[in-house]
Amino acid sequence: MPRDSQTERRGAHDPIIEVRNASVTYDLEYRDAMVLDDVSIDLRRGEILGVVGESGSGKSMLANAMMDAVEEPGITTGEIRYYPERGSEPVNILDLSDEELRSLRWEEISMVFQGALSSFNPTMTVRGHFEETLDAHDYDVEEGMERARELLEDLYLDPDRVLDSYSHELSGGMSQRALIALSLVLEPQVLLMDEPTAALDLLMQRSILSLLDDIKEKYNLSILFITHDLPLVSGLADRLAILYAFELAEVGPSEQVVRNSQHPYTRALLRAVPSLDAPLETMRPIPGSAPNPANTPNGCHYAPRCPLATDECHEETPPWFDTADDQRTACFNHDDAGDAVPLELEVVES
Amino acid sequence: MSEFERMAEVSMTNAERRRQWLDEAVLAPARIVWDDWRARAGLLVVVTYLLLGTVGPLFVSEPKPNQGPLLVGAFRTLEYPLGTTASGTNILSQIVHATPSMLVMITAGAVFTVVLGTAIGTLAGYKGGQTDSVLMTVTDIMMTVPGLPLTIVLATALQIKGNPAVIGVLITINAWAGLARAIRSQVLTIRDDEYVEASRIMGMSTPTIVAGDIIPNLMPYITMNFVQQARAVIFGSVGLYFLGVLPYNKVNWGVMMNAAVNRAGATSSPSAFHWLLMPMLTIIVLALGLTLLAQGADRIFNPRVRARHAKSVASGDGDTPNTGDI
Amino acid sequence: MSYVLKRLGRSFLTIFVVVSASFGLIRLLPGGPLDYLRAQMIQQGGSDLSTAEINRRIAAQTNIAVDEPVYVQYIDYMTAIFRGDFGQSIWYDQSVAGVIGPAIPWTVFLTATALFLAFTVGVSLGAFMAYKEGSTFDVGSTGVGLVLNSTPGYVVALLFIAFLGYRLQLFPTGGRYASELTPGLNVPFLASVLYHGTLPILSMAIVAFGGWALSMRGNSIRVLGEDYLRVARLRGLPTRRIALRYVARNAILPMYTGLMIAIGTVFGGAVIIENIFAYPGIGFYLIQAINARDSPLMMGAFILITVAMVIGITVADLTYGWLDPRAKGGASRESY
Ligand code: SF4
Repeated sequence: MPRDSQTERRGAHDPIIEVRNASVTYDLEYRDAMVLDDVSIDLRRGEILGVVGESGSGKSMLANAMMDAVEEPGITTGEIRYYPERGSEPVNILDLSDEELRSLRWEEISMVFQGALSSFNPTMTVRGHFEETLDAHDYDVEEGMERARELLEDLYLDPDRVLDSYSHELSGGMSQRALIALSLVLEPQVLLMDEPTAALDLLMQRSILSLLDDIKEKYNLSILFITHDLPLVSGLADRLAILYAFELAEVGPSEQVVRNSQHPYTRALLRAVPSLDAPLETMRPIPGSAPNPANTPNGCHYAPRCPLATDECHEETPPWFDTADDQRTACFNHDDAGDAVPLELEVVES
Repeated sequence: MSEFERMAEVSMTNAERRRQWLDEAVLAPARIVWDDWRARAGLLVVVTYLLLGTVGPLFVSEPKPNQGPLLVGAFRTLEYPLGTTASGTNILSQIVHATPSMLVMITAGAVFTVVLGTAIGTLAGYKGGQTDSVLMTVTDIMMTVPGLPLTIVLATALQIKGNPAVIGVLITINAWAGLARAIRSQVLTIRDDEYVEASRIMGMSTPTIVAGDIIPNLMPYITMNFVQQARAVIFGSVGLYFLGVLPYNKVNWGVMMNAAVNRAGATSSPSAFHWLLMPMLTIIVLALGLTLLAQGADRIFNPRVRARHAKSVASGDGDTPNTGDI
Repeated sequence: MSYVLKRLGRSFLTIFVVVSASFGLIRLLPGGPLDYLRAQMIQQGGSDLSTAEINRRIAAQTNIAVDEPVYVQYIDYMTAIFRGDFGQSIWYDQSVAGVIGPAIPWTVFLTATALFLAFTVGVSLGAFMAYKEGSTFDVGSTGVGLVLNSTPGYVVALLFIAFLGYRLQLFPTGGRYASELTPGLNVPFLASVLYHGTLPILSMAIVAFGGWALSMRGNSIRVLGEDYLRVARLRGLPTRRIALRYVARNAILPMYTGLMIAIGTVFGGAVIIENIFAYPGIGFYLIQAINARDSPLMMGAFILITVAMVIGITVADLTYGWLDPRAKGGASRESY
C-alpha cells in the first residue's frame, strides 16, 4: 500500500519533479530484486536536494528513475511528474515515448555521472561532445558553443584549451567540470548529479561544490546531488534525503537533519562519518551490513542493524512521522532515537 | 592485475605469499578451467597428443615402405585405419612417430618465445629509461621483420641440421618481440601499483620485486601466449616442411603433406587425397585444442572479461564501492 | 609531425638493419652462401677460372667484392642495395631486381586484398555478434571462428585447389592470369587477374577473419558496457553516430597490435600460398631461389619482402596515430 502519498504536500512548495511511489525492480531468474522501494520525494524548484546513502542503497537508481534511464532489464514503476513551469500541467516521465524522452533528457533534465573520465568518448575531443549534443537536439551549434564557452569559463576552465583536449589530457577535476558544462549546454532546468565528486581529492571536491551554488543561481537550476558523503553535502544542500536499503529513511532541511535527526540510521551515519574535527573515539562504524536487494527484510529495512528495533519494526513498514517543520522520519521509535544514538553535535561543522 | 593480489598484504611472509600465489595463480584457475567446457575440451585434446607423442610410438609400429598395399584409403581397413601412402607406408604410423619431434619443436619454440619475451619485456618496463628505449627499438625492428621468410633464410644460410628443438626456435625467431611489447606495457601498469611501490620502499632488490610481485601478475598472460606460440610453431613448421625448405631427420606431418602432393599428386588425384588430408586433420585438431585452451584461459584470466562479469553481477547500483568502510 | 618523422626514421632503421644483417649472413658465415657460390662456380667452370676471376664474378652477382676489406665490402653492398641493385640471379641469369621487381605488385595485391577482406568482414561480423550476444548466431559464429582460427591458410589452399580447382574445375590451379591475355587496363585481363587471385586471397582471408571477428566481438561488448556509451545514449545521440563514432571506433582501435602481427602473418603466409598456387610473387621466387641455391635471389627476395612489410606496418602505424588521439605520444599507445 502506498504509504506516503500525502506526506509531500502540494502547494506549500513548488515542486519541479515529483516522485511518487517509485520502485525499480530487476526480474532475476530466481526472484525479483528491488533496488528502489516505494520512494516518494519532491525536488523543489531552485533547491539543491542532497540524497545520501551508502553504496548500493539505491541512490543512483533514484536519479536514473527521475529521467527514466534505468538500464535494462530494470523496471521502473510509480509516477515521476515533471512540472516545466510553476503550476503547469505535469509531464508524466514514465509514460513518455522514446522520442519524447530523447528531447526531455539533457534539454530539460540533465545528469552528471561519477567518473567524468569514463563519461567522455576517449577518441573524441571535448568539443566534439558539445557539438554532437547540440546537433542531436537540433540546437544552433554556433550559439550553443558560445554558451559552452561561457559555461566553461564560469567553471574556471580555459575554454580553448579544454575544448580541444581529449579527456585523457585533462585532470580529474577539469574533466569533471567539463562534464558539468556538457550537461548544461542545452540549458536544462534540472541537474541530477550522481556522486559527481567521488573520484576527486578533498580540495577539488570542495572547490567544485562551491562553484555549484553560483552555477545554480546563474542558470536557474534545481539540483539533485547524490552522495555517500554526508558532511560534504550538508553544507551545500537545502534539504537532505537519507536513503537506506532502497527506501527513504528521513527527509528534511539540511540543518535540521544534521542537528536533530529523528532516525536511528541517520544518526548512526552522522556518527560514522569521518570529520576532521571529530574526536576519533566518537566515530563508530555501523555494525552489520546493508541487505541484499534480492533479500530485503519485511518490516523496516534497518531493523536488523537498528539498536531500537522492536517486534513491530521487524513486521511492519514504518509510516512517515512529521518530526519537525518540513522534516519527516520513517521510524516507529523516532522519539527515542536521540537518546539511543547520541551525537557529538559539534562534529558536523559545515 | 588481479584484485586478490592487490589486496595481498605486504606484511605477509614470503612463504605465505608463495602459498597464496600458488592457490590463486595455479589451483583456482585450474578449477575454473575445468568448469569451462572449451578449456576442458582443449585440455583433453592436448593431453591426447602428449600421450601420442610419449607412449604412442611404443604401441604403433614404425613406419616403413610396403607395410601394406599401396594407397589404401582412410577408414577402410582396421589394419591401416588412416590408409597407406603411395609406397604402402602406414599413415597412422607416420603420424604417431612424427609426434614426438613435433612436440619437442613446439615446446622449444614456445619456451624460447615466452622466456625471451618475458625477460625483455619485464626488463624494459621495469627499468625504463635508456634500457627501455634500446630494448624497445630492437623489439620494434624484430617485429617489423617477416617471421617465416626470416626463418627460411636463416635455415638456408646457417645450414642447420634437422634438430627439432633448433627448428622450433628458428620458427619463432622473432615472435618474442610482440610478447615483449605486450609484457612491457603490462609491467608499466603494474610497476606503479601500491604493493610494488611498497616492496621498493622496503628496499627489496629489483630481481626480487620482479620475481615476487611482477611475474606472478603476468603469469596468466604468459600462459596464454605460450599456447598461442605453440600453435604458431605448428603452423609455421608444417608449412615450411611442406614447402620442403627445412631440413629433417625423420618423417613429420609437413613432410607427409609434401610427399602426398609432390609424389602422388594428392590435390588432383582423389585416390591419394587421404594421404594429404590426414596430416592436415592432425594439425587442425591439435591447433583447435590449443585455441580452445587459450580461449578458456582467456575468459578466466583476462581482467577485462573478469571485470565485465563481476560488473554484470553488481549492476544493481552504480555507486562506488569505496563507501563500504565508512 | 615529429611523430611522423620519428616513425619514418624507425622504419628506415629497420630496413637498414635488415640489409646489414643480410650482408652479415652472406659474407660472414662460414659455409654460408658465399662459399657455396664459390664452390658452385669452380664446379661449373672447372679449374680454368682463376681465383680473381671467380671473385669478380661473385662480386657481380652478390655486390660483395671478396678481396676488399670487410668494411669496404659492407659499404659497397649497402650502397648497391639502396640504389636498387640486388645483384645477379644465378638461376634466372638476369638481375635480381629484374626477376623480383615485376613480382612485387602481385604479392602486394594478394596480401593487401586478403588483409582488407579479412579485416572488414571480420570486424563487421564481430560487431554484429556482439550486438546479438548470446544468440544462436553468436554462438555458432564463435564456433566457426574458433575452427577457422585453428586452420593454417595453406590447408585451406590445398583443400581449395583439390576441390574447387581440380575436382570441380571452377577455378584455375595456378598462375596470375590467363596466358593468352595482354596485361593492361582491359576488362578481360583484370577479370582474369581477379579470377586467378580468388583462391589464393580467400585462402589467406578465410583463416584470418575468424580471429578478427572474435576480437571485435570482445571489444565491442566491452565498449557497450562503458560509461561513455550510456552517457551518449542519454544525450540523445543518433544510433548511427553511437554505432560508428563510439562503438566501432573504440572497439577497433585496440586491435592495433593484432593488425601489426597480421601484416607479418599475411606476408609469411603468402610465401606458402604463392607456392601452392604457383603464383609468381616474391614468396614464390624466394622458394625458387632456395631450391635452386640462388643466394642473391634469395636475399633480394627476403629484403624486398621485409621492405614491403615495413611499408605496410608504417602505413598502418601512421593511420593509427591519426585515428587514435592517445597514440600521439608515440610509445604510449599500447598501454591501455
Ligand atoms: S522503525 Fe524500528 S528498526 Fe526501523 S529505524 Fe525505527 S526503530 Fe529502527
